[in-house]
Amino acid sequence: MDKLSIDLHEDKTAYAPRETVRGAIRWNLQTNPEHLKFSLIWYTSGKGTRDVGVVQTVTFDNPGSFGSRDFAVPLPDGPYSFSGKLVSLIWAIELTCMPGSETARREIVVSPTGSEVLLGDASMQGSHPWNEGNRGHSPLERILGARR
Amino acid sequence: MKARDNPFTVDRISALRYRPLDTTFDEILRRLEELNYRAAIVGPEGSGKTTLLENLQDALAQQGFKTWMFFVNDTVPLNGPACRRLLTEVASDEIVLLDGADAVRRSAWMLFRRRTASHAAGLIVTSHRPGLLPTLTKCSTTPALLQEIVNELQPPGRTLSADFLSDLYQRHAGNLRDCLRELYDLYTAHA
Repeated sequence: MDKLSIDLHEDKTAYAPRETVRGAIRWNLQTNPEHLKFSLIWYTSGKGTRDVGVVQTVTFDNPGSFGSRDFAVPLPDGPYSFSGKLVSLIWAIELTCMPGSETARREIVVSPTGSEVLLGDASMQGSHPWNEGNRGHSPLERILGARR
Repeated sequence: MKARDNPFTVDRISALRYRPLDTTFDEILRRLEELNYRAAIVGPEGSGKTTLLENLQDALAQQGFKTWMFFVNDTVPLNGPACRRLLTEVASDEIVLLDGADAVRRSAWMLFRRRTASHAAGLIVTSHRPGLLPTLTKCSTTPALLQEIVNELQPPGRTLSADFLSDLYQRHAGNLRDCLRELYDLYTAHA
C-alpha cells in the first residue's frame, strides 16, 4: 500500500511565529513517483470560500519508491492560527506525490501563545425561526437525533 | 463551535461530487463528446451546475484535455473589451469552461461563442436558462438529494429530521447551496 508520512520533531505541533519546524518526511510507494512535493501552507475553512497561502514548497525529483528526508522550515511572522464562528485559519505541512493522489498532511498551530487564537463568542442563538418555543432542549437538540 | 469544526464548511461542500438524478456522469461525458464539447449545463441557482462543471474539468483533464475555467457574475460582468482580452489568451487546444454565462452581455456572448468555435477545442458553460448552447444536462434537486448530502456531511451518529430538511428545502425553493449555508449557521449558533 502506498504510504507517505510526516513526522514532527519530538511530536511538536505548536510553534511560535518565526520558529523553525523540524521533522522528517518518509515515503514507501509501490511505484517510483516523478516528484514528491513538500509544502508549508495555511488555509481558511468556514462559511466563505477557502483562501490558501503557500509559504514554502520544495519539490524532490525522482525520489525513488521509498526513502526519507529531514526538513527544517522557518515559519513567518504570521498569520496566526485562529478560529471564529465564521472562519478558521489552519496551518499545515503537506506531502504529495505526483503522479498519484496520495497525500500526507500534519496540522500545526502557529501562535505566540502556543495555542490557536479563539475569536470572540458572537453567539447567534435566537436568530433562527425554529428557536421559538422552549421545550427544554436547544433547537439543535430538538432537530438532531441519534441515527440508528 | 469553531468554524473548522462545522460540518457544513464551504471546503467540505466543495469536495462533494455532482450527483445526477436521472442520468450518470459517464452518460453526461458521452453526450458532451457527441456535442463536440460545446454545450450548456442548465439549471436554477444551487442545483449543482458549478459542481458539475468542476467535475467535468477534472474528468476532461484525466482524458488529456487542456481546460481553462473562469467565473463570471453580476458584479464582474464580461463586457466586449474584457471578452476580447480574454479571448486572446485562449489556446486552440483548450476547452473553455465558463461558469455564469447568463452574466455575459449579449454582444460579448456572441463574440465569445463565435471566437471559441474556431479558436478553442470546446466551450462548456453554465446557465440558468437554455438556449445559449445545446443543453448538456439540466440540473435539478430533490428533498431526498438534500437529505443524502446532509447525511454525508454530518458527524456520525447525528441526523436531521426529514421534516426539518423538507421544510428547509421548500423555504429555499430547492436551492441546495442556500440550504447548506443555513445549516452552517444552525450549527454555528447551536452546536
